[in-house]
Amino acid sequence: MPAANDDTLTKVSSEAATELVQSFYPALQSNRDAIGSFYLPTPTTILFNGNPVADGSAVQDIFVNQMPAAHYEVQSFDCQIINRAYPTTTAAGVKPPAQMTVKDMSVLVIVSGHVRYGESRDQPQRGFSETFVLVPNPSSDRAKRRKEWLIQSQNFRLVV
Amino acid sequence: MPSMKSTRSRAGGADRGGIRKRGPTRTDRDGDMEMDGPGRGKRTRGDTGRATGGGRAQTRDKTVDAIQQAISSSTKESQANIRQSKGAARASLEQFRVSGWKQSKAASNRDGGVESLVAFLERRLNAITKSGPRAKITKSRVEGDSLVVSVRPELAERMLRINGNQFAGIQIAIEPQTANGSLDQELAATTGTSAATADTKSKMTAILAKRYYPDTKLLDLSKLGTDPDLQAMGIFNSTSTESKFFPALMKVWEMGFTSSAQRREAVQSVSLGDNQLANISVVTTLSQTIPDLKNLDLSNNNFKDMHSLIGWRWKFRSLEFLDLNGNPFSADPGFKDTMLKWYPKLRFLNHVEVRTAEDIAAQKKTPIPVQAPYFQDESQIGENFVRAFFVGYDNDRNDLLNGVYDSGSTFSLNVNTQAPKAQHTETAGWDSYIKKSRNLLKISHLPARMSRTYVGADSIRELWNTLPPTRHPDMTAHPEEWLIECHPIPGLPDPSGQSESGVGGLLVMVHGKYEESVANKVEIRSFDRTFILGPGGGVGGIRVISDILCLRAYGGHEAWSPENQAIPQAAAPAAAPAAAQPPVPVAQPGVPDGYGAPGPGKTDVQVRQEQLIAQLSARSRMTLQFSEMALSSNNWNLETAWQNFEHLRAQGGVPADAFLPA
Repeated sequence: MPAANDDTLTKVSSEAATELVQSFYPALQSNRDAIGSFYLPTPTTILFNGNPVADGSAVQDIFVNQMPAAHYEVQSFDCQIINRAYPTTTAAGVKPPAQMTVKDMSVLVIVSGHVRYGESRDQPQRGFSETFVLVPNPSSDRAKRRKEWLIQSQNFRLVV
Repeated sequence: MPSMKSTRSRAGGADRGGIRKRGPTRTDRDGDMEMDGPGRGKRTRGDTGRATGGGRAQTRDKTVDAIQQAISSSTKESQANIRQSKGAARASLEQFRVSGWKQSKAASNRDGGVESLVAFLERRLNAITKSGPRAKITKSRVEGDSLVVSVRPELAERMLRINGNQFAGIQIAIEPQTANGSLDQELAATTGTSAATADTKSKMTAILAKRYYPDTKLLDLSKLGTDPDLQAMGIFNSTSTESKFFPALMKVWEMGFTSSAQRREAVQSVSLGDNQLANISVVTTLSQTIPDLKNLDLSNNNFKDMHSLIGWRWKFRSLEFLDLNGNPFSADPGFKDTMLKWYPKLRFLNHVEVRTAEDIAAQKKTPIPVQAPYFQDESQIGENFVRAFFVGYDNDRNDLLNGVYDSGSTFSLNVNTQAPKAQHTETAGWDSYIKKSRNLLKISHLPARMSRTYVGADSIRELWNTLPPTRHPDMTAHPEEWLIECHPIPGLPDPSGQSESGVGGLLVMVHGKYEESVANKVEIRSFDRTFILGPGGGVGGIRVISDILCLRAYGGHEAWSPENQAIPQAAAPAAAPAAAQPPVPVAQPGVPDGYGAPGPGKTDVQVRQEQLIAQLSARSRMTLQFSEMALSSNNWNLETAWQNFEHLRAQGGVPADAFLPA
């Protein structure tokens, strides 16, 4: 693995976090059929207000079938690199360090904002805090809309 | 209770409260006060009690008077007076009451003879003494059969000498009208200590006691204009006393409580019915004194549209019951929608249920129910870490860093300056943090993003030493103030470098609050803090890989208290209107409309008796007829009637048909 400098690492991690925030919340709001595509096929833990959810398609089901309209606004977010050499498991087994690039990292993302449930603008704004762990997409699929980063862990909590 | 000074300094024209002390001397100033516009509160600040003399005091008095003028003229324009009488009072001038002229020939003039009466009085004033400047009636207003005129004090003696003169064929009487002017000042100084002020205060306390029903937590401020005690005080004889009366009453009410919690507890229902209010400006202080009101009766006033209530748009956030019957606004097509929009907890509007208990519960309920924290720990590693961490962070950050942080640990913080907050809280500034905040929405330059990431215990130490001291609540004593979740996570870096597939650890997410003391000020803030813990060489064999902190305004902890899935039974539909009884005219079984209210042909005694009958009926569940019998045979004493009823009922002596149908 080439020794990446701090500039590059910061750039890669913060772009991963930014991409998540800029695409995931709009999907929850108005592109719910795409929600499943944000998740690792076998995520570690997904929690919504303390309710464990099995995987991305279960999250999508909940949003498509049970959730009223929701308007999210992210007000602050930050990220940190957890592992600079995240061991991605591909079809061929764990990716060896020799094959890793600067993008083989895992990223911790914390988001703070508010959500308003329902169509009416008079519904209260509820503060939320959400933590994600992003990892590289293990699939070798080279499709155009392939996501570079997927959600390995997620914990959503209403906090206000 | 706010001090007089702070009340005044806020006055800035907008605060119509007008609870303030006068300067000690109020010299005559005939000039036009409009030159000194409203809201110059600053200039009067701190001058209270200083002896008058010299130009400065003059200026001060003029300023005070300008504010006074602004208060009375603005209430005049908005017609917001409790009794809507017009005309401004000038308490500083001497006032005289002229009567008898209504029987004069001039009374048939278009203006009722006022103009010719004033001209007559002025002629007489000037006829008595011919020297000096021309004498004038500075102000005049009609009050019932009297004309109240204000003149400069040096004209007082001459004024009295006109008493008994013939005006347009009739003898007129002139007497000094001092009560009003002094009342005006006493109202303005209800918090003061003079004997007169104490008297006004004690009268108001008595009025409040008469109108407060502790059992139902009702403060009945309806029909103030016809209250004999208030009339006796002369409250409604001038616009000035009228506009000061309500704020003063609220102030006296506040003074009756030692803590604001006690005050908030004392009242759930307020009636301001039958007060001819066209807007809320005179009574607006109600929303400061009793902000947590649940039931509000504004029936039979003159509110025309939403604008006449606009000052209460964001007040009374707990309002459940609102009565605007008998107001033009109720007929407005947008009335219901507007009120539902304004008051999210409103359940009954004009006695009609507009939201069910389920609707209210559904508002609070989130689409994904709030559950107890998810906590999947391994050998209590997460729990022990969290318990030790916050004690360490509050008491010895250095020790904490030495214990579980190493050269690879990463820390960063971000501030959400816009976060929603708990009600009734103010947000402290973020000066101590904002230059360290790595909110990626705001910090877009790569060098800044890099410099605001702190890697390694030493770098983190340097930062933590600059952050304000904190005090987190005790987890054992106040578990409800914390939300801590934890679960294992794979793929973490192995500090020993042996495992290519990474090592497992814990993801720990904590939400809570802390107190921060900077420069003797204590601020409460909320935080969200996520840790990633992995195996390492620190205390307990762990290391902190990531520590990411989000700070925001205090948002309370209600959001994570697990939802009761059942709809609360306590909020049964009958609860709200029942709490507003008795004087709030709520539909009561067996009581016809208008019963207990004044009407054509009804004497005051009848009205009072009907009210007593209705009250006894509500309490005993007896019909009006039997309630009336019970009262009339007990000299119309409600308590005695009630006790005899209970006694009789215990003995089985009350016939079944005495009761209302179940």
